[in-house]
Amino acid sequence: MQFFLDRLFDGISNGAIYAALALALVMVYRATATINFAQGEMALFTTYLAWGLTTRHVPVFVALLIAAAAGFVLGAVSERTLVRPIEKRSLLATLIVLLGLFSVLNASDGLIWGKGNQSMPSLFPNTLQSYVSVFGARLYWANVGVWLLVAAVVAMMFGLFNGTRLGLQMRATANNRESAALAGIPVGRILMLGWGISAAIGAVAGVLFTPLTPDSLGLGEMFPLLIYASAAALLGGLDSPGGAVIAGLLLGVAEVMLSAYVPAIGGQLQEAIAFVAIVAVLLLRPQGLFGTKEVERV
Amino acid sequence: MNLLEVTDLKAGYGQAEVLHGISLHVEQGEVVVILGANGAGKTTTLRAIAGLIGRRGTVSIGGTLLRPGVPAEAVAAGLSLVPQGRGTFTKLTVQENLLVGATKRRDKAAVAQDIDRWYEVFPALSARTKQAAGTLSGGEQQMLAVARSLMSRPSLLLCDEPSLGLAPLVVRSVFDVLREINAEDGTAMLIVEQNAELALDLASRVYLLEVGEVVTSGSAQDLRHSDTVRRSYLGY
Repeated sequence: MQFFLDRLFDGISNGAIYAALALALVMVYRATATINFAQGEMALFTTYLAWGLTTRHVPVFVALLIAAAAGFVLGAVSERTLVRPIEKRSLLATLIVLLGLFSVLNASDGLIWGKGNQSMPSLFPNTLQSYVSVFGARLYWANVGVWLLVAAVVAMMFGLFNGTRLGLQMRATANNRESAALAGIPVGRILMLGWGISAAIGAVAGVLFTPLTPDSLGLGEMFPLLIYASAAALLGGLDSPGGAVIAGLLLGVAEVMLSAYVPAIGGQLQEAIAFVAIVAVLLLRPQGLFGTKEVERV
Repeated sequence: MNLLEVTDLKAGYGQAEVLHGISLHVEQGEVVVILGANGAGKTTTLRAIAGLIGRRGTVSIGGTLLRPGVPAEAVAAGLSLVPQGRGTFTKLTVQENLLVGATKRRDKAAVAQDIDRWYEVFPALSARTKQAAGTLSGGEQQMLAVARSLMSRPSLLLCDEPSLGLAPLVVRSVFDVLREINAEDGTAMLIVEQNAELALDLASRVYLLEVGEVVTSGSAQDLRHSDTVRRSYLGY
């Protein structure tokens, strides 16, 4: 029981992070109909930025806010200057530009902050003693903090989408860009905003995820996370924010449980779980669990 | 002064120019129809006027010159396009579709009143307010498209093939509603339509388009009796 709960808590934390990053991917997908390959690297760049600030004695919480704001600008500018001029040409061209952005961001991280791994300070108390016992298992405050913050981000996004004028305009633009323009929605601004918010969510995910493991802030940190988030976004349905969140949590828990209880997977084959999930979804249910199949009525 | 004034409109897709200099106008409260064979450039004309595609030449509404490529500006000037294929927001509810149509408006109470009005005009929609619009039938989606476009309270409604793919009875009711709206609100209309019989009934003036140019124009009455129009578009 205790072993199971320990794993469950870890799984939910990882899952919450996957969920947040998957939500970011879904937002970009709904705006531009592409997977943003650079999503993870945008998150890494802003996480480095936050870490850099903390080394200059900026409180972690303030660093998080600055990172989110920087992420917003990074996302919005990428959409306006890189994606929009290219996307008219073809989907493939867009994907290649995003791969380019991936490597430029990663290389910039190395140039600015160096190649060695760093430890990111946590937003929450995370000494070995900061936990509560739940049936003998240790529920660390750091985990609870991640859950609550991700839950807050998700709640904010759903409030935005379903409760505001702006959210309605964003959903309309995602659904039918031309009709949105015809209704007078400033489509370009809405797309920039979608990318900006998406990268801001990524920044929060990065700053939350990194402190969960010591010495984990490094140039290769976000790639596995992107794979998991992509798997979650696909599993949930690429156009479904709710699906992304649920699938992120599912995958996070499944990953930890499988590697804990199936010795053959252990710590080495963890990433394979995400790939298996991606292939399985694409084969069996391409629209994901909660995504919509395009149906047009004539 | 004319409500819509289009001079020497040229537009196309990529290298291919489809419209080779079209001039037309719509007066305040008038219903004008554009007839023409497939590929004559009817849809392109409406899309260029609405600002969806690039163009040369000038388009002005009520004296305001519109910039090309800025559909929001055309909406603000009082223009609204019911696109071909209806342009439904399939994943939004019927109610949300109508709200999106009112994007440019800030008068919340009047928006709610207008929504009620269109539910009264189109009872089929009022039974489905919370339903995803993609689940509506083709005819219901066409009604929704008309209602959505009218939510911006346009002074000029552009309609692209409102009868396309609809059963004859449904077509009739869509045209009846257009006629009523024109009579009640004085909304001017520029309609592209394959069903020339219906369109000529509704319109007071006609432009005949061939390969991207206006070849004839005149009153609906006159053109109905011209031999070319009869043979090509009315079939008798």
